[in-house]
Amino acid sequence: MSEKKQQVSRRQFLNYTLTGVGGFMAAGMLTPMIRMAVDPVLQPKKSGDLVAVVEVDKLTTEPQRFDWEIDQVDAWYESKVTKTAWVFIQEDDSILALSPICTHLGCTVSWEGNEEYPNQYYCPCHGGRYYKNGVNVPGLPPPAPLAVYDQDVKDGTLYLGKAISRKGA
Amino acid sequence: MQWSKKDMEQYIGAKEYVDTVLIPLMPVVLAGNEELVKQAFQGELLNRFSQEVEVQFKGRIYLSPIYTYLASANKISEAERLKTWVDGIKENEPKHIFFFTFDPQWKKHEKNLDGTIIWIPAIQTGDIHSQETKDLLKQQTSQLTELILSYW
Repeated sequence: MSEKKQQVSRRQFLNYTLTGVGGFMAAGMLTPMIRMAVDPVLQPKKSGDLVAVVEVDKLTTEPQRFDWEIDQVDAWYESKVTKTAWVFIQEDDSILALSPICTHLGCTVSWEGNEEYPNQYYCPCHGGRYYKNGVNVPGLPPPAPLAVYDQDVKDGTLYLGKAISRKGA
Repeated sequence: MQWSKKDMEQYIGAKEYVDTVLIPLMPVVLAGNEELVKQAFQGELLNRFSQEVEVQFKGRIYLSPIYTYLASANKISEAERLKTWVDGIKENEPKHIFFFTFDPQWKKHEKNLDGTIIWIPAIQTGDIHSQETKDLLKQQTSQLTELILSYW
């Protein structure tokens, strides 16, 4: 009668237990290793982080200048860097946030920075100009349109990220 | 452009566009307690001013490494040493040379220097990270940029 009841033999029992314990130990060793291998994938992307800049209802169809600060890490050196954007609402109601960095040699451009050129961004260094949508006026030093910030609107607030450069016109 | 590898590589290809040199003049003291703190603070400010202006006009201004000198040094011999910097810089044929400083004594040596001394009234003391200082910096920077624009 004991033969029938004993469905798990001593040998089987030991096999199961050893496999279980061994598997558990192997998993205990492998998990941190796998975790370490895929770690870069799990890290949040710092450079792509969006920062709250301004409430959407403050924006107009006229470009306005907004400044915000980000923590920039250059290798071991961490510093606060002020970022600037010219932001306005386009005719199709979408928001355009332009980087003020001149694509020629990196000066800071400003909207209507020169009285002679209304409705354009003007670079004080070498007279580069850009139309309202950031496209460079041809025949002047700047080789490409102004970069556009990565953007997102959440709960009525505009978030801006990295400036993405555009190809020449 | 700043005194960095990346900027200098860009500079040598774009020299005809960079026609203005900015040299910050920073006095240093090596002893004394109150003086140390005061001069260090003003040094930080001067550095910040120069950097802010450089950001605005990156493509046309070459911000030279800071010229440091002992606050107690004789200005006549110091002006001669500075002149050797200016002579070196002139090999790049800049049209304008500006000196930024909080030290009023430079003003009377201006004629020997082949450049324009821009004396900025200093803030005696404070915190470089405070909002007050930041606002002041911003206002003064915009005046400085206008001054430079008027020379161009």
